[in-house]
Amino acid sequence: MEITVIAEGNDGDLHPVTSQLVGASSRIGDSVTVLCPGGWGSAEAASIPGVSKVISIEGACFDTYDCRIWSKAISPLANGDLVVAAASPTGREICATIAATRSIPVLQDLTGLEEGIVATRPIFSGKAVEECSIALPCAISLRANAFEASQGEGMAEISTVNVDSDVSISVREALAKANERLDVSEANIVISGGRGMGDPGNFSHLYEIADEIGAAVGASRAAVDTWEEIPHSMQVGQTGKTVAPSLYIAVGISGAIQHLAGMRTSKYIVAINKDPDAPIFGVSDYGIVATWEEALPVLKEELCRLSN
Amino acid sequence: MYADGLNNMPYEGLDFYDIDALLTEEELMIRDMVRDWVDESVIPRIEDSCREGVFPDEWRKEIGEMGILGAPLKGYGCPGLSYVAYGLICQELERGDSGVRSFASVQGSLAMYPIWDFGTEEQKEKYLPRMATGELVGCFGLTEPDYGSNPGDMITRAEDKGGNYVINGAKMWITNGSIADLAVVWAKLDGEIRGFIVEKDDPGFSAPEMKGKHSLKASVTSELVFQDCIIPKDRMLPDVKGLRGPFSCLNNARYGISWGALGAAQSCFNSAKEYALSRIQFGHPIASFQLVQNKLSWMLREITKGQLLAYHLGKKKDDGTWIPEQISLAKMNNVDVSLEIARMARDIHGANGILDEYPVMRHMANLESVKTYEGTHDIHNLIIGRYITGIQSFTREP
Amino acid sequence: MSANLDRGNCFRRGMTVAVLIKQVPDTTAKIGISGGFVDESAVSKWSISPYDEYALEAALQMKEAGRGDLVAITCGPSRASKALTEAAAVGADTLIHIEVDLENLDSIQTQSLLAAAVKRAGSEVVLCGKQAADTNGGSTGPGVARLLGSNFVGMVSEISSDGEGYLADRMGPNGGERVSVPSPCLFAFDKGTSELRRPNVRGIMMAKKKQIEVLSPSDLEVEIGDSTVKLRGHSSPPQKAPGQKFEGADSVAEVVAKLREEANVI
Repeated sequence: MEITVIAEGNDGDLHPVTSQLVGASSRIGDSVTVLCPGGWGSAEAASIPGVSKVISIEGACFDTYDCRIWSKAISPLANGDLVVAAASPTGREICATIAATRSIPVLQDLTGLEEGIVATRPIFSGKAVEECSIALPCAISLRANAFEASQGEGMAEISTVNVDSDVSISVREALAKANERLDVSEANIVISGGRGMGDPGNFSHLYEIADEIGAAVGASRAAVDTWEEIPHSMQVGQTGKTVAPSLYIAVGISGAIQHLAGMRTSKYIVAINKDPDAPIFGVSDYGIVATWEEALPVLKEELCRLSN
Repeated sequence: MYADGLNNMPYEGLDFYDIDALLTEEELMIRDMVRDWVDESVIPRIEDSCREGVFPDEWRKEIGEMGILGAPLKGYGCPGLSYVAYGLICQELERGDSGVRSFASVQGSLAMYPIWDFGTEEQKEKYLPRMATGELVGCFGLTEPDYGSNPGDMITRAEDKGGNYVINGAKMWITNGSIADLAVVWAKLDGEIRGFIVEKDDPGFSAPEMKGKHSLKASVTSELVFQDCIIPKDRMLPDVKGLRGPFSCLNNARYGISWGALGAAQSCFNSAKEYALSRIQFGHPIASFQLVQNKLSWMLREITKGQLLAYHLGKKKDDGTWIPEQISLAKMNNVDVSLEIARMARDIHGANGILDEYPVMRHMANLESVKTYEGTHDIHNLIIGRYITGIQSFTREP
Repeated sequence: MSANLDRGNCFRRGMTVAVLIKQVPDTTAKIGISGGFVDESAVSKWSISPYDEYALEAALQMKEAGRGDLVAITCGPSRASKALTEAAAVGADTLIHIEVDLENLDSIQTQSLLAAAVKRAGSEVVLCGKQAADTNGGSTGPGVARLLGSNFVGMVSEISSDGEGYLADRMGPNGGERVSVPSPCLFAFDKGTSELRRPNVRGIMMAKKKQIEVLSPSDLEVEIGDSTVKLRGHSSPPQKAPGQKFEGADSVAEVVAKLREEANVI
């Protein structure tokens, strides 16, 4: 089986998920060709073991993201029996467009992939898991961190293809990100602080972590009531917002019932509190008995490490 | 619910015997529209409004925009919906707060309805379309300081002064009074009860707000004071005399309340259930204790019974086969059980139940008023007694 | 944030905007598994997929700015017509229901049907949600765009007309951008700047009167064929392990590793 992997870029470099795509592909396929749109990370892609060859697709059109044009450039080269992309927003869009071009089915955000092809993916926002078998040829995108990366060193050949198309989309302006913090009710990950933070200024540590992992910052009612600087819009709880993110990290929050009411059904709950008897430990999946002063810097460091 | 940042957790009603399957698509859509509005506009503000004792004007506008005022009335810009739809609207509004539902009940059943049923064409054209949009607010003046359960002996009187009527007297416990543009006032003209439309700027009329309530705090409750209040002749409702007028209004409102009270009950039930599942004592959620389950089970039982009662009554209202005693039964039963449910819910919440973190005590206090107004529990009980025996026991014969 | 987009006059006479909506189990509904498959009959509430609602609101605003026609299209079993009624209640003019048993359709089949319906409606601008709340896939937008040969902009929060083309605020790989794109174009919405408006009684009662045009694949001259994707089964997500407790800040590294390996949430 010939597999085409669409490399995922990250600010001009190769996104680490690419080696997971290669890992998953090489475990079921015979040859893996990696396409690098815009040429980003092609040298790095060539050094992933399991890669038979790398094609660096270059052209001015890759300066601006235009799904139609990028797919048009990539499709002729994405001719494997299986096309594999990352389940990022861009990856999904390109994957789906290539699939439509080739009239092959596409399945997105897989968490499992076996020979056959047997595809496993979460559906209904994770409330159920679906298993399908798909005949080749087809296109798939894989969820980040659901597959083991290819380990070791490889040495594939890199060839370059130049594309001449013009993009139809032009950027008028970049939109400022300032003041656009994610709201607690919108984020997949929420990190909240309670009165145990000691001072509203200490929420800056929570913001730093939130920015690192794309989380929203919330607060307990105690924090909101005590400190003007913590607005009601951040409040999670009975009289605040009710949230159910994939991950809820409660820092310096005792876990009074009013707070639990607002986050009890989060998929996973991590609690950091210096009091081993805090009620929050009764609902947490991972409870850490430690002061936030000690725990947060380590948390930040570990999360930084993970994303790099 | 976990991924994708769309984590809203809206309210879920209790529908244990699947009454939803009996509703039309429009009725469900209307119900969901009001439910969403309560979630978005009432729930975030209700505790503050209750503390401050105000009915926010935004609610008047938004309720008007939804087009649900005067729900069962047809023509003149009114919605023309089924009585079942009207009931569903009341249930959803009162899940938010009884005061919000009271605003709509008074506007629709007590102020718009009498004009619609007993008024002249000119009166209907003049008032109804603008009341349907919420632009004009109405109220209903029947009860007096000394005449509550016994409205027949009211002393507010109207005198024919040739070119106009002059009204003297006072009404009390009037929802919407101080914010109303018009009042449908029942007064005795030559000893006979007639209906009159009094506008807020009519000379000799004032509507001071009643303060100091522990119940229906997010609702405006007023006195209506008539001191040689002069109104033009064309303000009388020509087609009705005696208590039949006000009672037909009250029957409509009472019907809505039989649904509405269950909305408050469901809000309390939901809160008690969630609390019981979250509150850990002796190492277990209190929802695992038998006495708590007994209470929750009783609540579900009574809500379900009440809903079936109200739904069937709604169908009878829609096909015209109802009698007033059936409305009395529904109002009496559903308010009675809802008040009990609110108290029981407060009990399940423990000390937390007295905080306005939770809605239970607010509903409990409101339902005390709902049990008394629109015919007290005892009066409705005697209405049923008279129906059974043929003997009235409201008054002693001299 | 830059100045709000000026809607301007979006429509030339006779132009339509198409919105692709999908009916899904309400995101608050419990999903039960029975006999190895998700039990659809047990779903208590069906709704328009949330991201499609943002698309619908944006389309309504475009229609209001330009007096064009709003065509709402859904592909699904008979219950999906309710989604069209809901769209009508807030202002959709034309309602098209491609009636099929969705469980047996794959991405190619769904996209061909939707693209054919859009062509039939003659819409040059198409809006949809970035992904449906049941599959969480995100293929329909870009796939339909490809079949229509139109431009595609995804992760959109707001759009407006820009002469003959459009301006869209989108989240791209380089961050948030306001882009201009010529017609024809398909826009896939992430969370929009405006929530879907509430219907009112008048809208709901008028929606009852709006005819839904029901089309079969053969009406659209689309050969469905057999799908090469076979559903094998559904299962509940794996049970969570009981809560674990750790001492001291040193354990943070271990917890983070577990969040990745055990929980798969980061």
